[in-house]
Amino acid sequence: MNALPHLLAVSLKLNFRNRMAILYGYLFPLIFLVAFWAVYRNDPVPLALHVGQFLTVTILGSACFGLPTTIVSERERGVWRRYALMPVGRWVFVAGTLLARAVLLLTAAALQLALAFAFGLPLPAHPIDLFVAFAAASAAFLAFGMVIAMLVDNVPAVQALGQCIFLPMLMIGGVAIRLESLPAWAQHLSAFFPGRYAVEAMQRSATGTGSAAFDLLALLLIAVAGAIAATAMFRWDKSVQPRRGWLLLALGVWLAVGAMAELRGPVTIGHAQDTGAVGAPKDYVAASKLAAPSWQVVSEADIDSIAFDRLPPDEGIISPVSRSDEEPDPILLSQLDRIRDTLPVWGPGNVADPVQRARNLLTIAAVPDILQMEQVERFAPRLVFARLQAVIPPHDLPKILYWIAMHPDDGDDAAVHQLGVFTLPDISGPSKPVRGRVMLYALKLLGRLSGHIVAH
Amino acid sequence: MIAVEGLSRRYGDVAAIDGISFAIQAGEIFGLLGPNGAGKTTTLECILGLTEPDGGRIEICGIDARANLRAARAKIGAVLQATGLQDKITPREALELFAAFQAAPLRTDSLLQRFGLMEKADAAFDTLSGGQKQRLALTLAFVGDPQVLVLDEPTTGLDPQMRREVQEQVLAVKGSGRAILLTTHDMDEAARLCDRVAVIARGRIVATDTPRRLMAEHGGTLDDVILRLTDR
Repeated sequence: MNALPHLLAVSLKLNFRNRMAILYGYLFPLIFLVAFWAVYRNDPVPLALHVGQFLTVTILGSACFGLPTTIVSERERGVWRRYALMPVGRWVFVAGTLLARAVLLLTAAALQLALAFAFGLPLPAHPIDLFVAFAAASAAFLAFGMVIAMLVDNVPAVQALGQCIFLPMLMIGGVAIRLESLPAWAQHLSAFFPGRYAVEAMQRSATGTGSAAFDLLALLLIAVAGAIAATAMFRWDKSVQPRRGWLLLALGVWLAVGAMAELRGPVTIGHAQDTGAVGAPKDYVAASKLAAPSWQVVSEADIDSIAFDRLPPDEGIISPVSRSDEEPDPILLSQLDRIRDTLPVWGPGNVADPVQRARNLLTIAAVPDILQMEQVERFAPRLVFARLQAVIPPHDLPKILYWIAMHPDDGDDAAVHQLGVFTLPDISGPSKPVRGRVMLYALKLLGRLSGHIVAH
Repeated sequence: MIAVEGLSRRYGDVAAIDGISFAIQAGEIFGLLGPNGAGKTTTLECILGLTEPDGGRIEICGIDARANLRAARAKIGAVLQATGLQDKITPREALELFAAFQAAPLRTDSLLQRFGLMEKADAAFDTLSGGQKQRLALTLAFVGDPQVLVLDEPTTGLDPQMRREVQEQVLAVKGSGRAILLTTHDMDEAARLCDRVAVIARGRIVATDTPRRLMAEHGGTLDDVILRLTDR
């Protein structure tokens, strides 16, 4: 008797004969990968900061739709009722179905990673950790997929319930949309969805930053609770009512894990801001009068008239600046080194006019911010600030920064199109938004130089 | 081969079956007859372990089926209503899969040959006719070379030719010394196949005898007997 391997082989064979299963199992993850690549095309290293996200989408799709659809459709047509008559334990049928799903999931993820490597994704920093995190996330979601399969009676109900889990996890659970882009309430809510822990565990393994211990613990708890609930709710036949009360255990652990995360420390990342207009110079001037007639005559009183407290926070998504003690992801180091090394020889950063020179240099901070280039937008400003202090006399720099901030629409902005040497992309369309960010970064450095902003 | 004694099962306040008892010998076909809802399917489900009875004893080939369900199941082949297969599985794959669940399965090719499915051995399940699907169901029940066959309305929905084909198969099985328990609504079929029948009404057996003796005792056809005994 070799029931399990035989069932596994037949399940896989039948899956590959089903066009819809192939579409959902393999094409759908690849489409998501291409979508991630397109959305984050301006990232310095393609897809590197989204490994956790695209792999979690694949697991979620398989757990919310693939697994329960297979079980429920087979149960609907009486296959499981027939299995129930066999002289083997039910674990054989459950294990065979789960193993087949795990094989499909693993091959789908391998295919997804292969395409991601073709797009330029570097090898993961800790491949074994990534595999462990992938396995833990798969266990957590597949166990919940089993709960869905036991709960509903027919395939349309799988689709409906699956969407109820899948879409919120994607939109406000930190899976498809970055947590940093979500408002604080949604970030708090995401702590109660397992998707967040799956993304974090896999991302940390892929880029080698931070410990994934809590994420793995969360996934393990969710997996165990899901498995217990699914076992208690198991039914061979749809005419038997499931013991729905066990659903509370599966969902209760989500709440418990969320509460643990909240107690453990802040679950929010930065302050979500509107990415719209950054305002005009007058919005940042406390006094009624605007500016001096030329940058040379800018006075301390003019600088003191700036309302620095109205500037967006450094940890937000508009004009962010990293803390001095913050380390970038290792995969970003080479690009940041390149920016630092290229700054001294960059033509626009050495033009004779000091105002234009400063304006050009500030562009290097402004463009990654506009393009929301994840960590580059937070670390590049520090390099620019250092360069400005190196190439402009300390007596002139505050005045020039003030002048640029108060006259964001003056000067030439051709430097926007000369950023290729920093491996920063060109941006198309009106340069007005870039000028707005140049203004903000000029004010942020001015605040630091004048002591109005105490940066960490 | 099958001994059932005092079998009962309640759903809430309703007794689906109440004190069902009968025994079936090797080489005997025993029919459970009665109207819908009388308790026939519940009885079969209890014997097969799909429903846990509230009380009673079930013995299959000398094995206490309630205490050792898995060992008892190894002795039984069953064709139930509302069982199917995946659309794209072939009869050969299905037989090989179900053989993998049995300790001493029969050879797939000989089963395909015996039940006239060799030509369709590699066709997808969803391309088979209703009769072929039912024949496959019967073939699957034989994979484990069972001593006991349980057939729940095995010819329902089949055309006369297919019905006759399945009945011939059942009679051939009887000839090989196995015990067969079947339910049917077709009284001609019951009269033709069954050595003895039990008439079941409201969860209780109201009569057990050969079809011929029942008809002689109560008068009329087997249909008339059932209607009379079940107060319809």
